[in-house]
Amino acid sequence: MTDVVKKRILIVDDAALVRTYYRSALEERGFEVEEALNGLEGLEKILLRAFDLVIVDINMPQMDGITFLRILRAKELPVSALPVLVTSTEAGPQDMATARSAGANHYLVKPIKQDALADYAAIFCGLRR
Amino acid sequence: MNEFVEQFLIESRELVGQAIDDLLALEENPSDRERLDSAFRAFHTLKGAAGIVDFAAMARTLHAAEDILAAIRSSEDLIATNVLEECLACLDLTSRWLDEMQTSGEAPTNAGSEADDMIARLVGAPDADERENTPLPGNEGWLERAREVAGQHFDGPRTAVRYVPDPEAFLQGSDPMAIVAALPQLLKIEIALTNSAVSLDSMDTFSCGIEIIALLGAPAVDVRAALTSVPGRTEIHELSPLIVTQAENDFQSKAISLLEAQLLLLRGAGVGGIPSHVASAGRTAVNALVVLGKSEPAKNVERATARAQAEHSAIPLIKAIEQALAVGGPNNREEQDASSQIQAPRALRVDMNRIDALVKLTGELVVLKNAIGHAARLSSENKESALSATLREQHTLFDRLATELQAAVLRIRVLPLRTVFRRFPRLVREISGTVGKTVRLVTEGEGTEADTAIVDALFEPLLHILRNAVDHGIESPERRAAAGKPAMGTVILRGRRDADSVVIEVEDDGGGIDLTRVRSIAAERGIAELAVLEAMTDNEAADLIFAPGFSTAAAVTDLSGRGIGMNAVRTAVERLGGRVEVQTQSGAGTTIALYMPFSLMVTRVMTVEVAGQVFGLLSIPS
Repeated sequence: MTDVVKKRILIVDDAALVRTYYRSALEERGFEVEEALNGLEGLEKILLRAFDLVIVDINMPQMDGITFLRILRAKELPVSALPVLVTSTEAGPQDMATARSAGANHYLVKPIKQDALADYAAIFCGLRR
Repeated sequence: MNEFVEQFLIESRELVGQAIDDLLALEENPSDRERLDSAFRAFHTLKGAAGIVDFAAMARTLHAAEDILAAIRSSEDLIATNVLEECLACLDLTSRWLDEMQTSGEAPTNAGSEADDMIARLVGAPDADERENTPLPGNEGWLERAREVAGQHFDGPRTAVRYVPDPEAFLQGSDPMAIVAALPQLLKIEIALTNSAVSLDSMDTFSCGIEIIALLGAPAVDVRAALTSVPGRTEIHELSPLIVTQAENDFQSKAISLLEAQLLLLRGAGVGGIPSHVASAGRTAVNALVVLGKSEPAKNVERATARAQAEHSAIPLIKAIEQALAVGGPNNREEQDASSQIQAPRALRVDMNRIDALVKLTGELVVLKNAIGHAARLSSENKESALSATLREQHTLFDRLATELQAAVLRIRVLPLRTVFRRFPRLVREISGTVGKTVRLVTEGEGTEADTAIVDALFEPLLHILRNAVDHGIESPERRAAAGKPAMGTVILRGRRDADSVVIEVEDDGGGIDLTRVRSIAAERGIAELAVLEAMTDNEAADLIFAPGFSTAAAVTDLSGRGIGMNAVRTAVERLGGRVEVQTQSGAGTTIALYMPFSLMVTRVMTVEVAGQVFGLLSIPS
């Protein structure tokens, strides 16, 4: 990637392994990565810095991903338009519909291969592979 | 993947510890919801971690435990002692696997069968069907290998079978290979000697010393049916995909799926369009189009996003994305080269208009072909024998090729009904939820193909019919119980090909149409005279529901009682050159059938000869 300014991605997931797994995939493709452990922490982070994409889990303590999305999308702030990719182990159509109506731009079912995740992140940011 | 194993082990041990603490605390105090939540989350996270290191057996086992905890979590029930014990046993097994993984650095090889046993314990005692699945001796891990062959992503059923024929099979006059040959949907087969150590010289040629492992694309029920003649000699397992099929293919199709996801998001956001949804979908779509090398559509989508925001409506953006998806191919050569390096797409997206032009040209070719046939006949009447014979011969060839060409071109416009059918299960669930009924939607024949224009136009009419079926057709649970029917209603959505027609049927097992009421409403609304109504057969009376200004809703619900009624359905269907029929039986249900032409591009013409001139009469749907 030749961009001078790196695209920045926030990973919101309570599982440390998932965060590391995503991080290594994304950093390898030249993304700058930050982490948050739950929805609440995620909201704090996106208010402090500008991100190009948020990858968020659904099932998390303190604040789940759906609540995170609803709060994010409820406002008409510039930050409310942040693209959000939901990744979850839940594969039911109802789970996907719920995430979508909360404002998820895409929904991927875990486990996700590192390459696939990095591909989607690149597309979200308008970068060719 | 190795780089993650270390962290996986550390984290998984922590999670197992956490889950054990939670479960033990629950044993003390079963009503502690916080502990229950915490235990559930630990199982959930463990399952996710197992997925990352490709430890499928562990993921399956924990998934089964998680399901049980999730069910308890969403109910008011207290967790039962035996459930606690099974969950703890599951954690014991997990710890043992983690230990083995620590030493070997890899997932244990026999984990598959251990996982099966554990899942069976968690899910409960095996039912009668599964009883024959007591493992046959030998060949451990065969199922795990079959799972590997099947992969994690597949559509449709997959069943793994291990069949060890009786050593005496040959003497008993049974033929194991004939049995194997009769298995449904054979995908892969492996035949091995039960005792591979035996040498060729000492082999007993009268004893059947083989075992067969097969992977089939059929459900276990069908496989079991094919193996009833060899009880106790088989193990049958239906495999389930670990995760739903997901586009794991190339970069471009990911970008397209992302675009499609934005459409889903926008369509779900309602007519007004939630501003932040519109903004984020617009941004995502623009980026996906840039990746696809479609700079012009990307600009259009960008403009449409601004318009959608200004107009407080998602529609301009939806249209722009749909358009971008419809326009085929990358924009210019340079970009095309760049993207073809990424990977050549297997399917081509072509503008509908271009295909229609092809269809039209083919149609004209067919007309021309017929004219040549006519010329050939004329010349043979005029006894220009040498020329006419050649002409007739060439015409026959031309006829065959043109007909084949026409069929091939029409097939381009064809889509399986699945593309419209798959939208309904969720909608039916939602509709039945709002009216307080439980309804199961069964779809059949979704592979049946029809013209794109017809498939696209079917959504609204079918939605209307399905709404009616759920809202008016299926009775309330109380009435169903009184009639001795199962509480859950069934609606079947069926597609099938019938000669030149595609038939789509919506069949419910509800109360049927109340024809007495239909007659009285028709009289009330002045649709027909009472005398005429009384003279009508039941079928004719049922047809009245399609009459303009008719609505059977006793109570106007917010679902189907919108006053448009079935008349709108008939109008839409007839506009496409189809017709609609209803059949109803009191107490047993109603079937509404749409007979649609297979293609909109073929027109039936009646020819008439008047004074030596041939005329063709078109039948144009009103």
